[in-house]
Amino acid sequence: MPDIIEQRVAVLGIGGTVQGEHPGRTADSLAVEAFRLALADSALAKSEIDGLLVQESFGGQGKFTEIGRQLGINPIVGGTIEASGATCAALIQYAALLIGSGMANVVACVYGTNQRTNRNVFATSRDEIADAYGMFNPGALMALSFRRRMTLYGETEEQLSTIALNQRAAAQLNPNAFMRTPLSYEKYMAAPYLIAPLRGYDFCQVTDGGFCIILGARDRARDLPHALVGIRGIGRQDCLRGWEDHESLLQRHQRKAAAMLQERSGRRPAHIDLLYIQDAYTPAVLNALENYGFCDEGEAGEFIQDGRTALGGALPVNINGGQTSETYMVGWGHTVDAIRQLRGDAGERQVTGARTAMVTYSGGLRDHAIAAIYERDDA
Amino acid sequence: MPEPAHGDAIFAPFWEAAGAAELRLPRCLDCGHRMYPPAPACTECLSANLEWAVLSGRGSVVSFIVYHRAWQPAWSDRIPYNVALIALEEGPQIVSSVTGCPLEEIAVGMPVAVTFEERDDRVLPMFTPRGEA
Repeated sequence: MPDIIEQRVAVLGIGGTVQGEHPGRTADSLAVEAFRLALADSALAKSEIDGLLVQESFGGQGKFTEIGRQLGINPIVGGTIEASGATCAALIQYAALLIGSGMANVVACVYGTNQRTNRNVFATSRDEIADAYGMFNPGALMALSFRRRMTLYGETEEQLSTIALNQRAAAQLNPNAFMRTPLSYEKYMAAPYLIAPLRGYDFCQVTDGGFCIILGARDRARDLPHALVGIRGIGRQDCLRGWEDHESLLQRHQRKAAAMLQERSGRRPAHIDLLYIQDAYTPAVLNALENYGFCDEGEAGEFIQDGRTALGGALPVNINGGQTSETYMVGWGHTVDAIRQLRGDAGERQVTGARTAMVTYSGGLRDHAIAAIYERDDA
Repeated sequence: MPEPAHGDAIFAPFWEAAGAAELRLPRCLDCGHRMYPPAPACTECLSANLEWAVLSGRGSVVSFIVYHRAWQPAWSDRIPYNVALIALEEGPQIVSSVTGCPLEEIAVGMPVAVTFEERDDRVLPMFTPRGEA
């Protein structure tokens, strides 16, 4: 068995509901549907699931005990785990530890939300001081981050638009994507600012939906019906003292997650065929490209030009359409799409020969940086 | 009217100081660490021996953003308005807003000094451009 514990672990099943609007559905019912789809994808029996990890969702849904009851399973280990926008990756990290250690055999990670239908408007502030100045919506921090980049590195709104445009173009080929209407540069620039320098197209699409990822031992995955995709490494660096860490406005703590990931995976940026960056707000892509070593500091705005990070480019980024076009779902769609691509099941968007994918998450701009590398095993 | 304050007692000294035209943040009497946001104990050494120490009010703009959408109805007659992250001379970076200059003149790196403005039922520390000291 590999010494790196997460390398003992593979993805056994993935499932996702239709993304968009599900009036009349509870968030938990969407989590249950995603689990049913992932279980069918894995071809496992439900009785084989002995671990359950849940992301809590808007309106107090997504409680471990209740989800387990609705799924009709009796796990030996599990819980609801919180890591803000990086929760999907946190659940996978814990699942890998449980499976790699032998404590659990098969762990299901699930998330369902109905926050679009139930109008989660993200109008809150962090605390009483932020509230007094009208600092509403989590996009505020990412807007501050990009404004600083514009001054430090001379980046422009035109350069930033490339992210939303690339992602929309990819989404047009993705039947799972919620937003598939064409987007032009002119249309992007004509959209009013929400929080300048960010426009509406720089914000994620708040959606209803469910996702489930089932993980198990690599050896167990060899009997299953689809290509084997394993975890190659996980890196994480939280920055819960972000307000006191002034480098973290540009998410520089991600560099530590990147170093950990590189050490554990033995993979460098040059090995990565596909990159997914959690993009609740588009500037996250610029910060992550630099912090995970795909380009030098201050170069991301230029790096993403000329199709380099578009579908068909040298380093395809967020070719599911990202959270600005496919679905918000706090980035669960990114990991699911990475697995789909590595299996060779991505249809019109399939990147030929894709073998290694990196998926990076950030929570609350600074609170969490978690990234994983997945790799197809052709042996 | 803006939503009522959250009423978190930990922030009360911040507003009390602003009412007296002072900018104060917690400072640890054991290790000297200055904190933003406030916390019940020193985030460096965990001592509960804190004081709300007065600050010079001098700093510079780390970054700023401009709201064109009112996320809460009470803010609809204030848009467009700015929110700024200010690096204080003493170290902490705080959330505030720049006043006393047009939005187009606010810039990253701009030196600023604290000023106090009454808004609704309380006094808010704000920051206004100052010449290079």
